[in-house]
Amino acid sequence: MIGNDIVDLALTRKESNWKRKGFLDKIFTLNEKKMIFASENPELTVWNLWSRKEAAYKIYNRYSKVRAFNPIRLECFNRQMNENVFLGEVYYNNQSFFTSTIITVDYVYSIAVANKLDFNKIKSIDSQYIVKDSNGIPYNYLTNSPVSISHHGSFVMKIQLDFES
Amino acid sequence: MDKLQIIEKLKSIIKPYVKEDTAFENLNENTDFISDLRINSANLVDIILDIEEVFDIVIDNQSMEKMLDVKTTLLIIETKLNEK
Repeated sequence: MIGNDIVDLALTRKESNWKRKGFLDKIFTLNEKKMIFASENPELTVWNLWSRKEAAYKIYNRYSKVRAFNPIRLECFNRQMNENVFLGEVYYNNQSFFTSTIITVDYVYSIAVANKLDFNKIKSIDSQYIVKDSNGIPYNYLTNSPVSISHHGSFVMKIQLDFES
Repeated sequence: MDKLQIIEKLKSIIKPYVKEDTAFENLNENTDFISDLRINSANLVDIILDIEEVFDIVIDNQSMEKMLDVKTTLLIIETKLNEK
């Protein structure tokens, strides 16, 4: 199971005002808000945590088929950080998802997996192999591998879990 | 406030965030904010905050979870207005 989410920072600065009153309170838990305000760059931490929640939600949505907009119920925890890669966990409904997030000057990008070992099985996939099931959930029609697509502003990321590797 | 007034107010709230103008023109109870109107999910938070301001109501997290389409959103706004 996989999920991904990309945030185009230039677009997000145009579309969202994370400093808007009440905005953070609808999305983040108290602990997460502490992480945001303790960080060197609160703006990047906002989108870093947001993209992890979105990526983890895509896994949940894939197997449960339940749609819900409940970012505050997916709680992020930092586990490790090397260079610009953040490793974390997202808890939701007593389940844990593992996340890996990279931050560049242009975007924030998170991948979530249900099984930590799946990080090694993630490959990009061409659009021509992607189809969507009746719930709108994408997969590779040749191999049946789960696919996750994230599109925001100038960026599109299409990944699959490659069972062969 | 009757239902038509609520719909008109809701339409003016969501308009700035809509990416699919045709779907917006054809807006009805079954219109989905994400799959039809292509609203960015971070902007759903803005819509919730705008609804709270415009209608002077509080949207709790449980209600917010379900606010993905026009029908449910209208229902929640009506319920919260009646509770006032």
